[in-house]
Amino acid sequence: MIGIKAYGAYLPKNLLPREIIAKMWDFPVVPGTKSVASIDEDSLTMAVEAGLDCLTGIDPKTIDGLFFATTTQVYTEKDSASLIATVLDMRDNIITADFTDSLKSGTSAVCRAVDSIKANKDIKRILVIASDTRQPEPATFWEYGFSDGAAAILVAEEESLPLSIEDYYSVATNVTGPWKRTGTDKFIRTFEVKMDSQFYSNNVMRVITEIMKRNNLKPEEIDSVAYYYNDPRSHQRVAKKLKLGQGVAQNGLFFQIGDLGTAMPFALLISALKRPKDDAKVILAGVGDGADAIYMKVQDRKQVRELTKTRMGLSEHQKTMIPMKNYGMYIENKRLLEKDRYTRKSSATILWRETASIYQMYGLKCRKCGLVQYPSMFKACHQCRADNEFDKIKLKLKGKIFTFSLDHLVGGSYYNTPVPRCVIDLEEGGRILCDMTEIEKPEENVKIGMDVELTFRLMHEGAEFKNYYWKCRPPRGRI
Amino acid sequence: MVRHGIANKVAIIGCEMTKYGERFDKDQYGLLSEAALGACKDAGIPKDDIDAAWVGVFYYFTGLSGTTVEDALRLNGKPITRCENYCASGMDAFRNACFGVASGAYDIGLACGVEKLMDEGGSGLPGFKIFGHPVYPMPSAPAMFSMAATRSFHVWGWTKEDLARVAVKNHENGFYHPKAHFRTKIGIEDVVKAPMIADPLGRFDCCAMSDGAAALIITRPELAESYVHSKDYVIVKANEISVFTMAPWYWPGYNFISFPATVKASEMAYKEAGITNPRTQVDLAEVHDCFTITELLNCQDLKFCEMGKAAEELKNGTFNYDGEIAVNPSGGLKSFGHPIGSTGCRMLVELTKQLQGRAEGRQVKDAKIGLAHNLGGAYSVCSVSILGKKD
Repeated sequence: MIGIKAYGAYLPKNLLPREIIAKMWDFPVVPGTKSVASIDEDSLTMAVEAGLDCLTGIDPKTIDGLFFATTTQVYTEKDSASLIATVLDMRDNIITADFTDSLKSGTSAVCRAVDSIKANKDIKRILVIASDTRQPEPATFWEYGFSDGAAAILVAEEESLPLSIEDYYSVATNVTGPWKRTGTDKFIRTFEVKMDSQFYSNNVMRVITEIMKRNNLKPEEIDSVAYYYNDPRSHQRVAKKLKLGQGVAQNGLFFQIGDLGTAMPFALLISALKRPKDDAKVILAGVGDGADAIYMKVQDRKQVRELTKTRMGLSEHQKTMIPMKNYGMYIENKRLLEKDRYTRKSSATILWRETASIYQMYGLKCRKCGLVQYPSMFKACHQCRADNEFDKIKLKLKGKIFTFSLDHLVGGSYYNTPVPRCVIDLEEGGRILCDMTEIEKPEENVKIGMDVELTFRLMHEGAEFKNYYWKCRPPRGRI
Repeated sequence: MVRHGIANKVAIIGCEMTKYGERFDKDQYGLLSEAALGACKDAGIPKDDIDAAWVGVFYYFTGLSGTTVEDALRLNGKPITRCENYCASGMDAFRNACFGVASGAYDIGLACGVEKLMDEGGSGLPGFKIFGHPVYPMPSAPAMFSMAATRSFHVWGWTKEDLARVAVKNHENGFYHPKAHFRTKIGIEDVVKAPMIADPLGRFDCCAMSDGAAALIITRPELAESYVHSKDYVIVKANEISVFTMAPWYWPGYNFISFPATVKASEMAYKEAGITNPRTQVDLAEVHDCFTITELLNCQDLKFCEMGKAAEELKNGTFNYDGEIAVNPSGGLKSFGHPIGSTGCRMLVELTKQLQGRAEGRQVKDAKIGLAHNLGGAYSVCSVSILGKKD
C-alpha cells in the first residue's frame, strides 16, 4: 500500500502573545499566541528540523525523494529541496522538487509523491516537508495570524504502514487574492478580505465534498478532517456546512501557534493523530488558488501511537517554547527592522569541498588510534599524528559544553550579543565549536557541562549568499 | 633531532622602540623609520651598514612583503623579508635575523616589527570579516582566550579579582614607562566593574588596539666588540618557536588551562640556554599579557610557578618588578597595547635595555637574564627568547 510511514514537525522557540500586537497598535485583542522564528531561521532551516524529527530512527539513505513546499522560498532561483536533502544526509540519486507560491503546495506535494511512487518502481519513499516564515505587514490583521513552523510527512509504499493514502482530489481555481508580486512586494496584499474568505470556503468545501462522494463517505463516518484555515470563524463555518461531527474538524492550532502557511494542514493532521482509532478515516486538505483533499485511513493504531511517542511533533516543541517579552524582540527576529547585518566572506568552493563537514556533520575517525575529530580540513590526526588515515564518521547532533565564552565582539559589531561560543564534546566523540542560539540570559544560563543540541541555522549572508551551518541550543528534547 | 641552537652566537648592539599609542600622526613607514633609525643611532651605525632586514607584520593592511621596510628606510635593494606568525610575528622576525647573522651570511642584521592598527577603527581586531572559514564560528580574540579563563575558573577556582590583579600590576608598572600607551594606575574595582568584552574578560582584562614599532641591530659577538655597546651588548641565549593548531577548540581532550605552544617553546629555550630552574635563574620576563588570563597561564607554562598557583603567587608579589621574578616590568601589552607585528621586538628592546641597566621604565635590579614570550593566534604560536648580559 501507499501511505504515511512517519511524520514530524518543528516549531521555533519563540511564542508571541497576541496581546503584545494589540497593545502595540491599540487593536482589539485577539486571544492566543503565535510561533515566531528566530533571526537565524528561515523556511529551509526549519524544514531541516522537521525532516530530522520525521526521520528519527529511519536511515536517510533509504529515502528516494524530497519534496519541499513553501511560499517563502529562500531563493527564487536555486532549489531548496536538494540542500535540505543534503543536510538530512540523503543519497544524491533521488528526486527533488520545490513546490511553491501557493498555500496548498504542501498537500499538492503529497499528491505528487503518491503519483511518483505509483509511476516509478525504484521510488518507494518520498519525504515531503512544508515550511513557512511569512512576513506579516506590521499593524495589519495578518500580524495576528502569520506564524512560523514546519512539518514533514514521509510518503511510502510498504506492506504495512501506520496510515494508507486511499485517494486524492484537486481543483485549480484562479482567485484574486491574496498575492505578493515577485521582487516588488515585501508583504502580502489583497483586494477584499471577505472575497478571500468566500473563495477559501468554496474551494475547501468543494474538494472535501467531492472526495467524500468519490469514496462513498458520509460526514458522520469521518473521524478527522485537517484543513487549512487562517481564521477560526471561517473554519467553523466550513465544518458546519460540511455537517462534520463534534471535534472532527481539527481546530485549536490557530489559537496556540497561529497560521503556519503551507505547514498548517500537516500540523493539523499531526494533532489529529494524537488519539488514533483503528480504521479511522482522515481527510487532509490544503487551499490556495484551488484546493487538494487527500483521503487516508489509519491502518495500525499502534504504529501511529509509536510515531507520536518517538517524535517531538508539535507538542514536545510547544513544551519548550518561551513567550516573547515585547514587540521589539518580535520585529528584530522577523527582520522587519532595516539595518546592516553582520556578514563574513563566502566561498562556493569551500562549501562544496566540505559538504560532509559543514552540512552533514561528518567527522573523521583515525584508523590508527581511533580518535574521532572534526572538521575534515585537518589532514593529520590530533593525537597520533598519522597522515590521512581517516574514515568518515557521522557525528551525533548533541553533546556537552567543555568550555565557552560570551562574545560581545561579533565581527566588530554589536548585534544580538553576547554570542555564546561553545566548545562542545559530542556524544560518541568529536569536539566542535558552535555559537549558541536561543539562550535567555546567557550570563546566568550557559555553563560548563551543560547539555546542548545542534540546530541548522543561517549564519550570515556574505557575498549575497545564504551561508548555513550548525549552532547549538539548550535541549528541546530531540531524540 | 640535532639542535645546535643559537646560544651565544648573536649579539644585540643597538635597539629602539617608538612611543606606543594612538599614533594618528604617523603611518607604518613613519613608525618603522623612527624605530629603525633609532636603533641604528643606538648602535652608532649608518643605515647603510645594515646587510639584511626582517620585519614582523601581521596585517596585510600594514604591509605585504619586505617593502614596508624599504619604503621606510630605502636600503637600496638589500634583502628584506616579512615574517608573519600571528602575534609572534615580531619575535619570529628577530629569530630569522639571528639565523642570518649567526650563519655568517650577513654581518649586521636589522630585526624589526610594526603594526598600524588605528587607521582601521578601534572596535576589536579588524579583518575578521575577511579571513577565516566562511561558516565555522570565528570567535573574537578575547573570546578565544576567555575560553581558557572559563576553564581555569572551573578547575582552579580563580575569580575575576585574580585576573584583575594582573591588570593592576601591569598598569602600575606602565605608569613609569615613558613609551607606554597607557600611563594610568588602576584598582581592582576598575577592572572588575568594567564592561564585558567576552565573559569573563572585561575591558581592563584585554590589551588595547595600538600603533607602534620596535627595532634591533644584531651582529656576531666577535664583531660586537668593535661597536659602541662593546661593553654592554646583550647576548642571545635562546630563541625558539613552537606552533600548534590554529583551532584548539577542535582538539579532542585539550584542557584549555595550559598553552602547549608555550610549554614546548620554553622547554626548548631553557635547554638551549642551560636554564634548569627558571624561577631563580630568570630575573625578568616580558610575557604576552594580551589578556589577564594569558599572563597567569604563561607564568605556569613558563614554570615560574606550579600549575594552578599563578593567582596566589601574583597576589603574594612574586611577579612584581621587585619580586622573585619580575613579570612585565615594562607594563606589558596591558600598558603598551598590542600593535601585533611589533610586540615581540618591543619586548626584546625592553629586555636589552633592562640588561644594560638603562630601562626607560622601572629598572629591575641586577638583571642578568631576561625572557621574552609572544603567544599568538588561538594560543597557536609561541616564541620564547632568552637574552643575557655580556659576561
